[in-house]
Amino acid sequence: MTESSRQGRHGAHSTAEGDVRAPLAGADLSTQLPDLDVEAVAQPSGTPVITFDHVSKIYPAQPGKPALDDISVQVYAGEFVFLVGHSGSGKSTFIRMLIREIKPSSGHIYIADEDLSTMRNWRVPYLRRNIGCVFQDFKLLPNKTVFENVAFALEVIGKSRHVIKTQVPEVLRLVGLQDKLNKRPDQLSGGEQQRVSIARAIVNRPPLLICDEPTGNLDPQTSRGIMDLLERINRTGTTVLVATHDREMVDNMRRRVIALDKGRLTRDQDRGVYGFDV
Amino acid sequence: MSSLLYFFTESLKGFARNLSTALGSIITIFLSLLIIGIFLLGGLVVSNVLESVESKVSITAYVADDASQTDIDALQQFVRGLNGVASVTFTTKDQALEKFKNSMTSNPEIVNQLDGQNPLPASIDVELAEAQEVESIASAIESNETFRKICDNQADPADSLKYGQKTVERLFALTNYIRYIGIALIALLIFIAFVFINNTIRLSILARRKEIAIMRLVGASNNFIRGPFLMEGTLHAIIGAALAIVCLQLLRMFAIPRVQTTLQWLPIDVSNGNYLMIYAVLIVAGLVIGLLGSALAMRRYLKV
Repeated sequence: MTESSRQGRHGAHSTAEGDVRAPLAGADLSTQLPDLDVEAVAQPSGTPVITFDHVSKIYPAQPGKPALDDISVQVYAGEFVFLVGHSGSGKSTFIRMLIREIKPSSGHIYIADEDLSTMRNWRVPYLRRNIGCVFQDFKLLPNKTVFENVAFALEVIGKSRHVIKTQVPEVLRLVGLQDKLNKRPDQLSGGEQQRVSIARAIVNRPPLLICDEPTGNLDPQTSRGIMDLLERINRTGTTVLVATHDREMVDNMRRRVIALDKGRLTRDQDRGVYGFDV
Repeated sequence: MSSLLYFFTESLKGFARNLSTALGSIITIFLSLLIIGIFLLGGLVVSNVLESVESKVSITAYVADDASQTDIDALQQFVRGLNGVASVTFTTKDQALEKFKNSMTSNPEIVNQLDGQNPLPASIDVELAEAQEVESIASAIESNETFRKICDNQADPADSLKYGQKTVERLFALTNYIRYIGIALIALLIFIAFVFINNTIRLSILARRKEIAIMRLVGASNNFIRGPFLMEGTLHAIIGAALAIVCLQLLRMFAIPRVQTTLQWLPIDVSNGNYLMIYAVLIVAGLVIGLLGSALAMRRYLKV
């Protein structure tokens, strides 16, 4: 997937939300934006966003037991994918390899045509700017307000104050926290905190959003709210990958399911269900 | 430029947010630098004292009462020609008595007992430029023909030559030891300070590793993450150094003059230039330690 079409999804993101504010970075972006291909969102095709090509990962501590064993899978732009499996099945390894916290022992991982196994270290921050990450434990900074937490993601990649001032309230409105800008994380409920962390992950409008157990700490009703939010984000064109234990969620949503078991890919199914016995 | 500004404002904010750890590292830097400063100052004072003690080493050659003026002049001429001699003066019998009276003002009865007589010999006083050369100069005088002729105690010329032979040897051994020990002590202190400061900075960064992890997660480049921390380290170092300098300056203005008035024989006054040098050393040492310590402590958190 090329740079311009990736950013095209950003543009789609703001327009689909009925967004009247200026899109990110103004004119230079809009000139290279192709029109959103609605069909592509509904029926994924074209170049994959994520490609795993015979990827194995063997941790030095357990040489006989690969964490991931010869995984080949592709995720296309605009897809909503669940990554399911028991603890220790390799979900976290899968995700940590996507943001290149670790490298595969063999095989290749491509994100938008870029090979992560040969990527230079100094390029890694730029990769991560194109991937939003949401975690079970939120990873919010406790001594910053909601606004500052989200703004932080833009500050550290060098965005101007003007961009921050327009984009942060916008994304907080998207996640429904426009009234809590000045609250601190410990003054929010778990669901609200997770919304803040989702806002932080997408404020930069990355084409890919990765969530590692986003509802792991939340009650079912709140979880449903978070999933609705993720689905709305997906509808704007962002590719969403959710690693989860949450059977009910997976079964209800009927999206593509990739199942891992002991490091092996056991199932890859469109409109799938959780499928494991409890 | 804008990111420099960002680093600066961010380091100020970080300062306010992490007040306790910031204060901790500032106080550590301050105390370490203060101790180094005091020891440097002490080292300068000791070296001043040593120099003045060494410069007091002089040779006195006692001359017989009946020595002729020509012989005395010839001897003075000879001594002046020797290597390492700073100045040569002649003290007459009357001057010697005067000096003696002056040094005995607290016991005037001793002077009174002299009863108008003058038992003191005239002498040639030799001040030395190279205090450590005293042995060779003394032996050169002793072997001089003229000196042998006019010295106070004809039977044993060496007896008319006073320079505290054994004492001088011991004194030099002692002063050299003190110098080496002082240098070693200061080096050790600098090392200890470095370890302390490095540890404090490590702790303050450890306390913020979550923040660093999030910065990396959202794609901040390493330089961008490092910037505010290095700036903060620098800020802490400068504040710590400034506090240490203020303390030393107070010490200089209030404590040292007092000590000087009680210990007048000790030349503990250190020149302005030397103070400035110590201050410069403290600032540079603080900066180096602050920057280097932060950079080293950060390294492990920045591995991709």
